Amino acid sequence: MSSDNHFDSIIVGGGIIGLSTACALSRMGERVAVIERKYLGSGSTGRCIGGLRQQFSTAASITLMQENMAMFAAMNDEFGFPVEFKASGYLLLAHNEGTWSTFQKNVALQQSLGLKVTLLSPAECKKLVPHLCTDDLIGAAHCPSDGQAFPFAVIRGYRQAIEKAGGTIFTHRPVTRIRTENSFTLTIHTGENIHSEKVLITAGPWTAELMKDIGIELPLYPERHEAVISERLPKFLGPMLVDYRTDGCYFQQLESGQIIGCYTPHPNVPGINEEVSFDFLPQVARRMARLVPALENVSLLRHWSGSYTMTPDGNPIVDESPIKNLYIAAGMCGHGFMLAPAIGKHLAIRMTEGIWQRNFSEFALDRSFSGQETLK
Amino acid sequence: MNDPLIVCRCEEITEEEIREAIRQGAHSLEELKRHLRVGMGPCQGRTCGPLIIRLLCQELQRSPESFSEWRKRPPLKPVTVGSLIPKGDV
Repeated sequence: MSSDNHFDSIIVGGGIIGLSTACALSRMGERVAVIERKYLGSGSTGRCIGGLRQQFSTAASITLMQENMAMFAAMNDEFGFPVEFKASGYLLLAHNEGTWSTFQKNVALQQSLGLKVTLLSPAECKKLVPHLCTDDLIGAAHCPSDGQAFPFAVIRGYRQAIEKAGGTIFTHRPVTRIRTENSFTLTIHTGENIHSEKVLITAGPWTAELMKDIGIELPLYPERHEAVISERLPKFLGPMLVDYRTDGCYFQQLESGQIIGCYTPHPNVPGINEEVSFDFLPQVARRMARLVPALENVSLLRHWSGSYTMTPDGNPIVDESPIKNLYIAAGMCGHGFMLAPAIGKHLAIRMTEGIWQRNFSEFALDRSFSGQETLK
Repeated sequence: MNDPLIVCRCEEITEEEIREAIRQGAHSLEELKRHLRVGMGPCQGRTCGPLIIRLLCQELQRSPESFSEWRKRPPLKPVTVGSLIPKGDV
């Protein structure tokens, strides 16, 4: 660690939110340090499947994702190498009337905000994805400008951008203690201290624990989600397919050719847990082949797990804490990767200039948490 | 000039790319994987893992035991979707 351990801002957590915020802050000329307990992206970011969608159910999330899509689309030029961004679209599938009426309501709101999204009949879905089995399908919501990017590449882009802008990244250094007096002193596991005027805690599923130590309780509930990836294949699937049945799943073909997919477990599996279950592979295989029977002959290579950090209303917490100059960005509910560029940008402005350049009240810490994102 | 030596056959990553990534600060298999995608193909690192540990040892002057192996994950060898589904279940 450098001899000068004083910074303007310290970011605790080298995941995608911490990196995008550190990147924005360091480009504004702030002296920034990122402290990561393991290596960059070792938490939720490096385990996510890289989907990017604007089809949410609240105006705040929809417009924030519209801003994010433009930022992802600009990353190849920004970073100087490909981040495997592709506007491959998302096709949300309704197999029952309840889901279908939710889609109709959401699409009306999304269209009113300028998002190009349309409701498709089963025949239109079949035309878009010829391999899709449309049995029991009522209809679907399709947004062609939704898409994907490769999390490992985006992490690398932010790392290089932070270092180029003069920021410092410390890896393999868990924070063991945070002291708040006039400014902040963070102690890492070796006993060394680093100091700053401002701190952002964005430690994914570990955020609640860190905040509890300084007396702030947060409604954050990590749960385990599992994912699977196949061998590389020639392109044959277009959009991310999302099957909203309780025994559904979601998967897409990456720019690099692999099929990557997940399903949401019912009931959920609470806690920080990186182990995998015996049930997952046969389940995900059955669910994926039900939608795209041609997948039966595809080989699966790896099955892993990671944390979704949930909040009671399905929206993140991005706010200054009751302690002045101590900020929180956590509870991304499985959407941290897609939300990161714009959250980082706006949080950096909030941390330096004291204002939100857009309305972040739906992500405020003092909200009621009584609403519900319907497109999880 | 020697021909480039491929260490990770699945993802076609060369010895020189791996050495360069180590010099840039990727000091473990997990970090190299995230930097170069080594070990992410059909063999899941069974072939290249031990070779890359040797490169880490040479570049960082450390012993092989000081490096953790990649985390092993199911299904260990490629398995088709169809073979995972109980018969008559689709």
